[in-house]
Amino acid sequence: MSPPRSISPTLVLSAGKTACRACGHELAPVEASWKDVAVLDERPLGEGGGPMFRTDGGVLLRRFYCPSCGTTLDTETALPGEPFLVDRVDWS
Amino acid sequence: MDPMTFSIIRHRLFRIIDEAVITLKHVSGSAITNEGHDLMVSLYRADGSLLMGGVGFLHHLTSAAEACKSIIRRFEGRIREGDVFLLNDPYTAALHTSDIYLVAPIHFEGELIAWSACFVHVYDIGAMNPGGFSPQSADIFTEGFSSPGIRIVDQGEMVQDVVDTLLNMVRSPEMVMLDLRSMIACNNVARERMQALAAKYGAKTVDAAGSELIAQSETLLRARLKELPDGSWQSRQYLDVNGETATVRLTMTKSGDRLVFDFTGSSEQSRHAINCTKWASLGGLFAPLFPLLCYDITWNEGVIRPVEMVAPEGAIVNCTRPAPVSVATVAAIQSVNNAACATIGKMLAASDRYREQATSVWHANHFAIFKFGRNQKGGQSIGIFTETFAGAGGARSFADGVDIGGEIPNPISRMANVETVEANFPIRYLFRRRMKDSGGPGLWRGGSGGELAVVPHKAPDGGIHYVISGKGDRHPMSDGLAGGFPGAPNKYAWAKARNGGDVEAADTADGDAVSWGVFPLMGKDALYVRWNGGGGYGDPLDRDPERVAADVAGDLVSVEAARDIYGVILGPDGELDVPATQDLRAISRAARLERVVQ
Ligand SMILES: [Zn+2]
Repeated sequence: MSPPRSISPTLVLSAGKTACRACGHELAPVEASWKDVAVLDERPLGEGGGPMFRTDGGVLLRRFYCPSCGTTLDTETALPGEPFLVDRVDWS
Repeated sequence: MDPMTFSIIRHRLFRIIDEAVITLKHVSGSAITNEGHDLMVSLYRADGSLLMGGVGFLHHLTSAAEACKSIIRRFEGRIREGDVFLLNDPYTAALHTSDIYLVAPIHFEGELIAWSACFVHVYDIGAMNPGGFSPQSADIFTEGFSSPGIRIVDQGEMVQDVVDTLLNMVRSPEMVMLDLRSMIACNNVARERMQALAAKYGAKTVDAAGSELIAQSETLLRARLKELPDGSWQSRQYLDVNGETATVRLTMTKSGDRLVFDFTGSSEQSRHAINCTKWASLGGLFAPLFPLLCYDITWNEGVIRPVEMVAPEGAIVNCTRPAPVSVATVAAIQSVNNAACATIGKMLAASDRYREQATSVWHANHFAIFKFGRNQKGGQSIGIFTETFAGAGGARSFADGVDIGGEIPNPISRMANVETVEANFPIRYLFRRRMKDSGGPGLWRGGSGGELAVVPHKAPDGGIHYVISGKGDRHPMSDGLAGGFPGAPNKYAWAKARNGGDVEAADTADGDAVSWGVFPLMGKDALYVRWNGGGGYGDPLDRDPERVAADVAGDLVSVEAARDIYGVILGPDGELDVPATQDLRAISRAARLERVVQ
């Protein structure tokens, strides 16, 4: 069996779906946004990162967890309301 | 061409640049060149295209190519052996006015065979604020002397009236003259060595080797791109200035053997000098591309061909005259560097084959602080805190980022010794050290940034002033990768002495925030600066607990961060508590999943 096709260090392609590399949980069809179905932990950066990250910039730390195993699949820093960054691998 | 001759010429081109850089440093007397390595030397073909990119700040490699081409257009029919041209207009090719390009044609037996180009950040350029970064400038007209191309050496003779005109407009003209002389000497060495190479192998052979080298680089990069997955990756960078936030947005698309960097959606150009021109953005995206995708490919025109940039006119990454750009190299250009580093990193990380070449973003936020004033010897000094070049490495898929590990756009950046600074400025360091908890947490930790504090010392005027173009104290800029956290942001503080007493070193970080403009460092006050760590890689809960314990022992991670971010519990003597750590990590992971039902 050939190894699964890679999407990122934390995500693989599984039967047309984006899946968690750690546990195999299928998140969403590859053409859809997997971030929309991941567990989003969004909080002020200083709260997520500790005192060294406290600023008055209102910036948020977003962590996307696998809903099955809890692994962090990706992170972003964002101002409130900012759309998710979209990363896409074309395996067609 | 026979492969031996080809290889010999290729290596000679490398060595010519090395020798030219050594010359530049030997002649220059300025800390930013010698200690900070804020410099670049490269060789260009007769048409101005990049022949051999050198070390130093890599975002200059393509801009200096455009400088050569611009000089070729402007002086067509009037370019002679022994000429040297100066170009520093950002709307023509330069990055900002203080990074002067000296561009020199190389002739052999009467024929133009190549160009050498170099830059240093000159001691001063006559902008509103000393040192070149001019946060108080509202337009290019107040950013100092600016030329779209002027001849300063005519067939080996200095054009003294032109040089004197430039020197008449800058602070510390003797130091600026030394900067110019160092660059002229550097170009002279490059020219002589190129001529010797042509004499030995023939100008046609040398040019043919250059042409083959370019074709080889293009073939190799296209082949590498084909091995990487097709797709598109995004990054955004927040640039805060004085309470205002601008955004650089990048979508990088790779299809087949082509790469497109699209900055559509970035903020409109700013009224502050954080903008950059299109040539600067192009240089900015190539700075990480050369080392990350072409670590084993010669950096030349062949690397440029598969790459396209889209940068909307009037945006912060392609500003229109007369927008101010003096802070560009540490603002929009650096954000382009970072965004490109992030998207290239994600593309590499998506490939099982290339994952080990991926990196989180390194030292993403320079702090340009130029101190100036009368020194302890009675002279005037202007100079940057070269700690801004000290940097911090981004974490990779197999290793932590290097603490105080430099930066991606300049492989040879470094900082001056404390003693060198104290010898030239009437200041004293209270401390300079690695910054605890600054490296982005992750399975692999981002490299630590640093912190320093200085006070006036034996200053004839009671102290000095400084120009600060400080950004990044509101938003972290060194992005993490694959679940890693960003590195901690910068911080700048003015600690004021109370009741005539000294400021305690430990209290300096709690001073009043300063970020943009000119400020005094007088009496017993202190200036505190913290610089960002590198981005982390992977989930911090997956980090080897022994590594976390070692970080705590090494004062790089606090006990609190070990517990709250890494889920690692240490005993009273710093020893790892394995069962407690396993329990806490299980609880932390479960808590993540509880959010599903919220
Ligand atoms: Zn999972």
